[in-house]
Amino acid sequence: MINDTLFFMLIVGIIISAGLLLLFIWAARSGQFDDSNKMVNGLLFDSVDDLNDAIKKEKNLKDAKEAKSKSEEKVSQKID
Amino acid sequence: MSNVKCNHCHLEFSDNVMIKEGNLKFCCKGCQGVYHILKSDGLDSFYDKLGNKTIAPPLKLDNTDVSKFDSQNFLDNYVSVSKDGFSQIDLIIEGIHCAACVWLNERILHDTKGIVEADINFTTNKAKIVWNEEKLKLSEIILKIRSIGYNAYAYDSSVADVQASKAKREYFIRMMVAVICSMNIMMISVAKYTGFFTGMANEVKNMIHIGEFLLSTPVLFYSGWIFYKGAYFGLKNRMLTMDFLVASGATLTYIYSLFILFGVKGESYFDSVSMIITFVLVGKYLEVIGKKSAVDTLDKIKSSLPLEATVISQNSRKMVALNSINIGDIVEMKAGEKVPVDGKIVSGFGFFDESSMTGESTPVYKKVNDYVYSGTINSDSLIQYEVTKTFKNSTFSSIVSLLEDSLNSKPKIQTKASEISKGFSATILTLALITFLVWYFYGIDLGFDYEGTTQFERSFIVAVSVVVIACPCALALATPMASLIGISELAKRGLLFKEAKFIESIAVANTVVFDKTGTLTKGELNVVKAEIIDENIHKLSLLYSLLSASTHPVSFSIKKYLESKYDLEIKKLDNVKNIEAKGMSALYENLDGKSFELLGGNIDLLKQNEIYYDFNSDKTVYLFAINKNVIATFELEDEIKDNAKDLINYLQAKNIEIIMLTGDNEHVASKIANQLNIKKYFWTQTPITKAEYIKELKKENKVVIMVGDGVNDSVALSNADVAIAMGNSADVSLAVSDVVLLNSSLTSLQDAFVISNKTYKFIKQNLLLSILYNAVTIPLAMAGLVIPLIAALSMSLSSLMVVLNSLRIKMK
Repeated sequence: MINDTLFFMLIVGIIISAGLLLLFIWAARSGQFDDSNKMVNGLLFDSVDDLNDAIKKEKNLKDAKEAKSKSEEKVSQKID
Repeated sequence: MSNVKCNHCHLEFSDNVMIKEGNLKFCCKGCQGVYHILKSDGLDSFYDKLGNKTIAPPLKLDNTDVSKFDSQNFLDNYVSVSKDGFSQIDLIIEGIHCAACVWLNERILHDTKGIVEADINFTTNKAKIVWNEEKLKLSEIILKIRSIGYNAYAYDSSVADVQASKAKREYFIRMMVAVICSMNIMMISVAKYTGFFTGMANEVKNMIHIGEFLLSTPVLFYSGWIFYKGAYFGLKNRMLTMDFLVASGATLTYIYSLFILFGVKGESYFDSVSMIITFVLVGKYLEVIGKKSAVDTLDKIKSSLPLEATVISQNSRKMVALNSINIGDIVEMKAGEKVPVDGKIVSGFGFFDESSMTGESTPVYKKVNDYVYSGTINSDSLIQYEVTKTFKNSTFSSIVSLLEDSLNSKPKIQTKASEISKGFSATILTLALITFLVWYFYGIDLGFDYEGTTQFERSFIVAVSVVVIACPCALALATPMASLIGISELAKRGLLFKEAKFIESIAVANTVVFDKTGTLTKGELNVVKAEIIDENIHKLSLLYSLLSASTHPVSFSIKKYLESKYDLEIKKLDNVKNIEAKGMSALYENLDGKSFELLGGNIDLLKQNEIYYDFNSDKTVYLFAINKNVIATFELEDEIKDNAKDLINYLQAKNIEIIMLTGDNEHVASKIANQLNIKKYFWTQTPITKAEYIKELKKENKVVIMVGDGVNDSVALSNADVAIAMGNSADVSLAVSDVVLLNSSLTSLQDAFVISNKTYKFIKQNLLLSILYNAVTIPLAMAGLVIPLIAALSMSLSSLMVVLNSLRIKMK
């Protein structure tokens, strides 16, 4: 019984650390660790304003992409 | 009077020079302008982020040149299409000092309509900007960056750069996987080793083995992939490398541990497998970072040349991209610009700052028919010249491409450990094979408890235990442990080693090549003798005013000398003239309307004005005369650094050959060489001849150390076995060098030699220790006499021995 619990805990521990490791790999692949200086200093800039800016930035990116694809659709419709 | 802070740049100035605006105070119009832009755009939280740090006041830029950013030529060369179909450009942003600067630039770009993405790298100052070309022109983006006091250049994101970034990221992930898994294994191992001494049920032990197996598998096969690759390429070139030793040792230990996991009695060594991979991988990662930062610096250098030059054809001027300038074209350049391509002057004359070519800070005077070289700076006049070389063949481009080549083929130094590892891994593997064969064919049951195993399995386990016991731990640790302690001792004395292996190279070097200016000498002209004939303070003030009107280094150091001795003021001079390569003249009118003629310069200038003053000196001379009466004479010289003589004596006593290379003339070179007792020296060297000379030396199989500072030394530095740069060196030289002398003092350089020699001695001791250890344990393992307890203890003991021995380096 105790051995089963021990084994269960060990496996759970490894699964959790594997999950965190995958999260880290995703972050590193997307370039979040490319600039160590910016990463370290970035910790200082996490006020509400900064978070809002980040949301705005992502929204801008999405809008720009949508606008682009719409204009491309129009162009292709005209050609039709 | 106390100084006050500027509200924008936070630099302190005297209160009366500030521009006042209510409570706000600014040091210049530029700061004031930027402050209001930030305020109106709601970006004033920049100042909170900046905190107490200061930034440089905004650059004064002439915005008339931005149209070139919209030219078709420019767009073709630098703008690419992003994966979403937008335009994309790589820029280097000038003026970034802190994280707040990065924040500000990113914010203002994101608030601009039409910009899709802007990402600035703080470490390298490189920015990637993606924007919608239909809504926004590139020149508008550049203007936006300039409006807040920064400047941007385009750079050609080279293949080398992309590759270096990719390699860095990949190594980082592999290293972190290894580190995280190893840390978990270490925690589990605590339980295992506790159980080792207190007793532990077999079931629990198996459980721990399973956990270690799960964690060490990715370390060996994912993180350790690099070693397999290294071992493969080594074998392809018929070489047994350190990589091969690590890979084979780790793999066999892993297989051995698998047997234990599946029921064979004994201890598993999954923890050793992951630890060795992790340690060696961290060292490799540091190497990759070094390479990446060198590439970044090269990009910065490349972007410092203008993108286009003014070409005159049939009396019309047009801007032409550097790549499309042809030989024979006439190029016009203004004062302060960098020469874009090599050529010969056809009209105009002036001083050129050639420090990037020769290392000498004194500007060189050039007139019609003299050659100008790309990368040098036209200090003060309008010049037209005929192009003699295309951009690709010009001096600047050839220096950059030479640097790129030599960075990619940086000589691999044969370290003592890798030399030994070649023979070592071959020997161990042969011994293991012999052990296996002997046990398989003649294996008698020696009474060991290998229940339920076949003859093959039994022989295999004994053979593998030979490799496991000879585990390269101690051998792989011998060098890094000693060098690590050596490096920290060196760092205390202001010496920065980029990689540990250079300690070994310094210790075995037999040739040291020095640059002269800035390395052996202080690199600046200093007044060594001054004779003031007339100490009238008004007359000296006139001299001071005349010196202030010039940017020549001679004027500058005499000015500094006068400032330290007298309290002088600047008077208004008329008709200030630069007389080519001789000095200056000016007129001064006092309050009574009396006029004085001022002359300052060398003897030739006085002769030209019919003043015959008897003065002999082999140094640089500056004479000052008012109305043809000599008032003061100065002699200037570039002084030898303190302790230069001691260093040279020390090296000569150790039988190291010393060579001096300088861009200066023969006269100065021989004088310095004689003072320092250097027998071999070469003068009027260019960056390329310096590098050639280093290559020659290396062909003679010499281990060469190059010590230098300027851009002109960079190619030679990158070719040497060990490159040592002064702390105040040019960016490129720092990037290509292996060791940086933070305080630029030659005393520290001597320490570098002393400590490296000492460390090398300990490295050799460590290697000897680990070989002795193997000589004792391997025969035991071959005889099948290694019981698990001894194996486990000796594994840690051998490493511990090496660590403890290395600590002795710290002792005097």
